[in-house]
Amino acid sequence: MPSYYDIDAILTDSQKVPCTFEITVPGLGYLDGNPGEPIKEGTKVELPLWLGEMLAVTQNNTNTPTLSLDLPQCLSARVVNALKADPRVVDIRALAPHFYALGSRMLELFDEEELLDVLTDTFKRRAKEIADQAHHPRGVLGEGAEFLRGLDESERQLFRSAHESSKAVRNWMVDLKK
Amino acid sequence: MAHPSPPGLTPSEVSFLCEMELVTVIPRQKQDAYTLLGGPTPPLTPPLRANLPLWLALLLKRQKRANIAPPPWLAPAALSTILESETTEYPAAFTPGPALPPAPPSLRDEAASPPFVPTSVVGAADTALPYHWLEMGEILLAGAGDDFEEPDAVRRLLRDLREVRMAKVRAGVEVLDAGGGVKMNGVGGMEIAEGRAFIGGVVDGLRKIGASKEAVRREREREERRVGYRGQEDEEDMDDLQ
Repeated sequence: MPSYYDIDAILTDSQKVPCTFEITVPGLGYLDGNPGEPIKEGTKVELPLWLGEMLAVTQNNTNTPTLSLDLPQCLSARVVNALKADPRVVDIRALAPHFYALGSRMLELFDEEELLDVLTDTFKRRAKEIADQAHHPRGVLGEGAEFLRGLDESERQLFRSAHESSKAVRNWMVDLKK
Repeated sequence: MAHPSPPGLTPSEVSFLCEMELVTVIPRQKQDAYTLLGGPTPPLTPPLRANLPLWLALLLKRQKRANIAPPPWLAPAALSTILESETTEYPAAFTPGPALPPAPPSLRDEAASPPFVPTSVVGAADTALPYHWLEMGEILLAGAGDDFEEPDAVRRLLRDLREVRMAKVRAGVEVLDAGGGVKMNGVGGMEIAEGRAFIGGVVDGLRKIGASKEAVRREREREERRVGYRGQEDEEDMDDLQ
């Protein structure tokens, strides 16, 4: 369970997901750009994950959920296929800055065995590339720049820690020679 | 919470631990035994070799009162043999560390592992890299480079070995799993210090991605246990009724 003050968890939950209203709600039209009007049944809007999740799981007195959630664009079949083909060329930062965190939140809500496998595999294969880039400081300006720009927030953290530790060892070796 | 330093040891802490290892010195002056916390050192008599902790050996070397004899595995021939087996014989694993001697019966548990086994003295094995191989090599090359016959060859071989082995550490993430382990027998102290942050980060990331699956599995197990327990209770109730 992420901490209440975990800034990454907060940012993850504020990413938008597509939602479809199952019932007509009076006065909620401002979500759809019609202030003062009711929001119609079947309207599709993009809501932050925390709000969409809350409305999707709570029961109202008609015994149907207020809205139904959908998988966000960044986890659509097109992206999953691209990740299956080659995880290293997908710019996942452009898809979602907290891609894996969002993915694991969606896995809590949807039962998608395949998505889990794809995400795990993607993370592993990209982690190997990250380690190579962090260890050989050629990347930042040269051929690796494209890849490094496409890292999501957790991958950047990983890159930073891998880079720091290899830098620490290099510094220690330089200090020895003094 | 921001921690001032990451978990694990920093490179300088690892090299500090390495300075406890015994190395062989060739004294150039007579010197009585020092009484240290870890016990007395052997008295030094010039032509005779003696084993001293690395930090003391470096100190004497700096004062030009002793020369250090590099451990046998730091010879170019031994290093190239190890490098060879590292790439051909064990392409996926690390070359195993030096074989441990049989423990004396009085100290069966604690004495049979480094640093209590001298792995860097003159009589040590030259076919395996000890735990502190990288630190020992670098410290000796920096502090006593003129005691080596071919310091540049040794330096180059050490760098090659380090590259090969770090590539193996990184390749290990392929087989990592949220709950699984990766076999790293024979890995060195400095390599752990270098790889810890990355490997820990990967395992953490995998665990977060798989958190939902894990939660479902736990929930199901708890449910099964509860249902099983309930079932027993029901039977007991039935017995009571009868």
